[in-house]
Amino acid sequence: MTMIDEGVLSDALQGVANSFEISKDATDRILSEARAEVADTRSLRAPGFLVTPGRGRKFLIAAVLILVAGGISLPLFRGEGTPNLHDTPYLGAAPSTTVPGHFSQEFGPATDQTTVGSPTLSATGSTVTETRTGIKSAATSSSLKIESNGSVDLTVPKGKIELTLSKLGALVSGDGGYVDSTQANVGARGPGSFSYATTVLEVPQRTFATLVAQVQHVGRTTSLSTNSANVTAQYVDLKARITALEASRQQYLVIMSRATSISDILAVQSQLNDLQSQIEQYQGQLNVLNHQTTYGALTVMLTEAGHSSNTNHPRSGIAKAWHDAVAGFVAGFEWLIRISGPALFALLLLAALWIAGRFGRRAYQRRRL
Amino acid sequence: MEGSTNVNDLEGWLAESYPQSVRTAYLILGNRLDAEDAVQEAFLRAWKFRDSLSQGSSFKPWLYRVVVNTCNSKLRQEIPHRDLRSSDDDLADVFVHDDVPTRIALSNDVMSALKDLPVDLRVVVVLRYYADLSEREIAIAIGRKQGTVKSRLHEARRRLALHPALRSETSRRSTSTEEVTG
Repeated sequence: MTMIDEGVLSDALQGVANSFEISKDATDRILSEARAEVADTRSLRAPGFLVTPGRGRKFLIAAVLILVAGGISLPLFRGEGTPNLHDTPYLGAAPSTTVPGHFSQEFGPATDQTTVGSPTLSATGSTVTETRTGIKSAATSSSLKIESNGSVDLTVPKGKIELTLSKLGALVSGDGGYVDSTQANVGARGPGSFSYATTVLEVPQRTFATLVAQVQHVGRTTSLSTNSANVTAQYVDLKARITALEASRQQYLVIMSRATSISDILAVQSQLNDLQSQIEQYQGQLNVLNHQTTYGALTVMLTEAGHSSNTNHPRSGIAKAWHDAVAGFVAGFEWLIRISGPALFALLLLAALWIAGRFGRRAYQRRRL
Repeated sequence: MEGSTNVNDLEGWLAESYPQSVRTAYLILGNRLDAEDAVQEAFLRAWKFRDSLSQGSSFKPWLYRVVVNTCNSKLRQEIPHRDLRSSDDDLADVFVHDDVPTRIALSNDVMSALKDLPVDLRVVVVLRYYADLSEREIAIAIGRKQGTVKSRLHEARRRLALHPALRSETSRRSTSTEEVTG
């Protein structure tokens, strides 16, 4: 293949290119134009951190990107961003108190919710949403309908389950209540088997707090959870519905007395049946509510020492501290896992913005050059 | 103070690279005035965007990149929209100090052959055989891969050898080489 000789080509190009003089004025023109540009730039100088490349601008860009990413991802963190051992109530409702060791707090207003022992009790979380604000001061009023219930886990000495059940029965009777139900597995033998019992105690609302305090002295309390809720609105609503339905029923009875044809009587009878059914349904709910607000239910779980249906919670200071530390570690780890998703999203967003910015900057410079 | 330092930088660039840049641009554009315009613009742009020269990068290919881009821009936007002055006039203007007729003839042939090359081939030929850039530096200057540069150079030399204006010169050179070796 014929190709032009490199030497020939080089000589020819050198010859052509070097055959004219370069004007000195041209470089002076370029320099004066550059100086004029410097002067213009000075007069319209933007803040240094915007113009000067380097760390300052990089920090500024990074800060803006972090703010943008933070603003986008913040809603993702909201409500689950911090470790929470106690499931803080969202309704800003009644206070939740955790008392180490024996429960010794005086039961005050009906809305107080108290947890002893393990802070991870499921009852804690579920009862919080049922608690209502504004009940505390009104709890003393007799017109209010307050329902209270709770559960206590007790550890009793080996072979003392039945005796403890008897003691509980006596306590309830003394408080004017009764034993609603009892399930017991006593005298179990063999490896891994142990005796336990669950009993539900019902006492009048006014003595519920007393019963809770008394029950704790029967055995070693490993967990305690109580919940009170104001059901006045629900109660009033049910009563109003029943009253309205009864008024309708009375009117239908009047219509019935005036009916002459069989078809009219049947039609009115059908309506009366429906009304009666609804009234009975609401009345049933009202009765249940009445009972719940009259009696407080306390579920007591008894376990022999050495065995536990729940976790045995340490009572001494150091042991409790260790337990809290482990629980805190687990909660922190859970929190880390929970935020890893939004954090990954935020990181990806930052990376995408950074790459886009970098490409954009390079493309801009290439265009300008 | 900072501004004057930067202008001093530009002064250094001009002293070092301006003449060769103008001659390179001339070979690409085929017109001395256009070349001076392009290089003036290129130096000001390069100075303005001097931050884009990353540390450790070579200055020479970077500057040539700016010059080549400016020349390409001129060829795309300005020169096609106005009457091109004839290369003969241009060369007559150029060779005022050189009255060797054969040299003028050869230069005319070279310029004619260069102008008949596509711009992308012309640029690599000029950068390689006049500016004396390596293939790697040309790759940086035109923003293409080194393999592309190599193939363009090959194609350009093949076309130039076939160009009527340079064919006689090529054959004359090859004959004289044969005589020397014979």
